Parts: sequence; C-alpha cells; structure tokens
Amino acid sequence: MIEYFTFKHNGESETYKDEVYLTVVPSVTVAVFYGSSKKSTSQVSPEVFSALLAEVSRDLDFARMCTIMDERLPRSEFLVLRIEGHHIACFRKGGVKAKIVINGDLKLLPNGIFGLNDGDRILVATDNFYSHLTNEGILADALVTDSCSEWMNLLVRRISDANQLKCGNLSAVTLLVR
Amino acid sequence: MPDFTLLPDQTVLLIEIAAALFVTAFLSFIYVSLTTILSLVRLKKIAGNDTDDLLVCDVAYFHCKGKRENQEDAVYISPLEDSFTNGVVAACSDGMGGLLYGEVVSRYVVERLSHLYPMNFDDPDGISEEIKKISSEVYEQYRLGAGATLVMTHILKNKMNFFSVGDSNIILVRKGRVTLLNHKQNYVSLLIRKLSESGSNTSEAYKNSRAKALIDFVGNIETNVMHTSKPIQLYEDDIIIISTDGVTDAVSLNKLKGMLLPEFSAQHMARLMKSAVRNKRLPKQDNFSAIVIKMDRSII
Repeated sequence: MIEYFTFKHNGESETYKDEVYLTVVPSVTVAVFYGSSKKSTSQVSPEVFSALLAEVSRDLDFARMCTIMDERLPRSEFLVLRIEGHHIACFRKGGVKAKIVINGDLKLLPNGIFGLNDGDRILVATDNFYSHLTNEGILADALVTDSCSEWMNLLVRRISDANQLKCGNLSAVTLLVR
Repeated sequence: MPDFTLLPDQTVLLIEIAAALFVTAFLSFIYVSLTTILSLVRLKKIAGNDTDDLLVCDVAYFHCKGKRENQEDAVYISPLEDSFTNGVVAACSDGMGGLLYGEVVSRYVVERLSHLYPMNFDDPDGISEEIKKISSEVYEQYRLGAGATLVMTHILKNKMNFFSVGDSNIILVRKGRVTLLNHKQNYVSLLIRKLSESGSNTSEAYKNSRAKALIDFVGNIETNVMHTSKPIQLYEDDIIIISTDGVTDAVSLNKLKGMLLPEFSAQHMARLMKSAVRNKRLPKQDNFSAIVIKMDRSII
C-alpha cells in the first residue's frame, strides 16, 4: 500500500503555476510540474500538463509514456513516478527531484527503475521547495513521523521558519510504502 | 661464551644493566602488542566487520548558570568507556522557569535517564516509553506545577537516534550546513499548520503572544516524545550539539556555524560556544548548557 500527502501553496505569488498530479488506479502515478520555475522558458500551463499526463498514463508503459511527454513538453520541468508492486520508476526533467530515505540516509532518486521496501519514504518536490530545506532536516523529519501528513507538516514548518511561506509556489508530495 | 673476566667490574655491571633493560623493553613490547591485538579482536567482535569505518565520539560539555539564581539545566553523558558496546547517550534537560521546582525536575529527569543506561539502541520506541514514564512520574508529583524539557541523543556504531520533548535543541552540523533536527513543541507549530492549510502565509503565527508557549514538556499528561523510529547515519566530522535554549537564544545558529568546524576538537568548540554566550552579556541570560559531540575517525 502507498500512503501519500500532497502540498500546494501559492507562497504569496498571484497565481499557482505548478501542478501536483496523482492517480492510484491502475497503478500509482505521481507527477509534479514546475511551472513556476524561473529558469524554464516553457509556456505550458498546468492544465495542459495534467491533460497530457491523464491521456498517456492510462494505457502506455512507463518508458513510452515518458518518451511522449518529453517530446511534447520539450522545455518543461517535471517529474513522473510510477509505483507498481515493489518497484518504482522515475523520470525527471529540470528542477523537480525525488529523494528517498534509505538506511538512515537521504538519496536522490535518479531516472530508472528501482526496488522498494516496506517503510521506504519518498519526497517529490520542486527545487523551490527544497531550497529552504537541508537533507539532514528532511531526513530527521521523515524518521520522527509515522505518516506522510505529519512528515509534510514538519517540512512546511521548516520552510515557514525560514520565510513565513512567502517564497513563491511550493509543491511537494510525500509517499510512504506500507 | 664471551670471557668477561678481563673486563673491569664496573663495565660488567653496566653490561648486565643494559641486558636487563633490553629484556624488560622486549617483554614490554610483547605485552603491548598482545594487548593491542586482543583489543582489536574484541572490537572486531563488537562491531562486526565495520571497524575500519567505525567512528568515535569526541565529547565535551559546558553547564553555566547565566544570570539566574538557580541552575535549572541538567546534563547527562553516559560512561564513555562503554561507548563501543552500549553507545554514547547525551542529554540536556531545562527546568521550566515559569514553574516551581524546575531545578528539581531537570535533575530528576537526567538522574532517571542515567539509571536506564545501558539502553537498547534498537528499541527507540521502548526508550520513548521510558521517557513518558518519567514524565508521568513528574506529573503525579507536581500536577503540572513543575516541568522540564529534554533532548537526548543515543549514538552507536555511526548511527544516531534522538529524543525530544519541549523546546531545547539537537543540532547537526554536516559539511558546513547547520540543521536543527528536532522541532520545538510550541504553540506556533499549531498556528503554522492551520495557516498553511488555508493557503495563507504564516507571519501571523510568529506574532501571536503565545507563539513560544510549550504544548509539551516532561511533566505533562500523556507527553508526546518526538523521536526517531530508525536511526540517522552519521559521518566523519559530523558535529552534534545537544543544548538548552539559553545557548541558542543568545547566539543564533548562523553565528554558531562559524565556531563548529571539523578541524576543531569538541572541547575547543565547547569553549568557543561558551565564550560566545558569555560575551553577549545579556542582562537576563538564562542558564545555558550544551554537549558537543564530534564524530572522529577511530584510531584503529
């Protein structure tokens, strides 16, 4: 079973330009679109991203799905994860990253397919979300909490302590394998 | 056989002394070598095959009254000679100044912890339950009339569990990054949650007059002990600070960063921190205590 918790916040910006996409049937697909990235030259809206992902995630295998998304959204920054059984597949472009807690350490999840174990915790977030956190803080918060929502709350508290959530769009998903 | 009969008696005596010294030195060398080999074998047994990477804790602490009349902080460091088998437990407790008997409670907390040593490193939930028991004992005695905070780390074989109740600090310095590992259990955390969920910024939370009020402490009913369920991996040159808020209220984490450098010993860092707090000369300086632990490469 996969437990998840999503967080979307304007961060005092006029509009929310990111997107967090999540489906659980037929398999768990998680995507974070970084529309608010200052580096990105893409004009793709969150709605276009979600519509495309909904279209391609239904019937296609992960590799094919990522190829199509890469072709149709060449300058966009996003990350897609698919969890099937005890495996996780990851594809990312630009400033969105997934980090996984393994053996008391926090590791960056690269593109590819990896095994998952019960109790594994994963954070998917935009670079803006990560920029207010340290790996040690993310790790400590993961290890002191029992649920994805508690973990996210502690991460948000850290960001709040740094800037009172006045820092632009914040988008993240916490995942826990049970 | 050499013939010594032609040598003067004094020379023969000197040769005999030299021979005796040589034999003593040789036997000492054999003894030291055997002892070292036996220690290595013992450590290998304790640490499995990881002795090459085993780090040791360099520990120092300070414990000062500040401008208060009483010392309401209390510290505990487990016996370091047992560190390879039972780990290093370090704890700070800060008696709550607003309540009576803060001094008594913080001392009671660390004394009770010292009786729990050695603790089972693989059972942080069990240790957390013991801390809850201590809290219940304080509650039964004082019925919310006294309380204390508690921060504690347990380090064994390059791994660390931590435990926290209240608003004291567990700080990790790694590669120049300073991170407060635990969260302060105060009212502002509830306000931040509420405001962030509504999509607002959280500046109002910090302006609230009760923002710093503790929502949990040792001596509370059903205390929530924030603790790691699995340990954090530690690396060479990691620096861990367990301190009461008297330290961080006087010197910010950013300022502390400049004093917590891997080339310094734990003792030197503790001295620098203590001087920094003293040099602030705050008229109402709270009690201030800290334990500094530096993860060093083992001599083996």
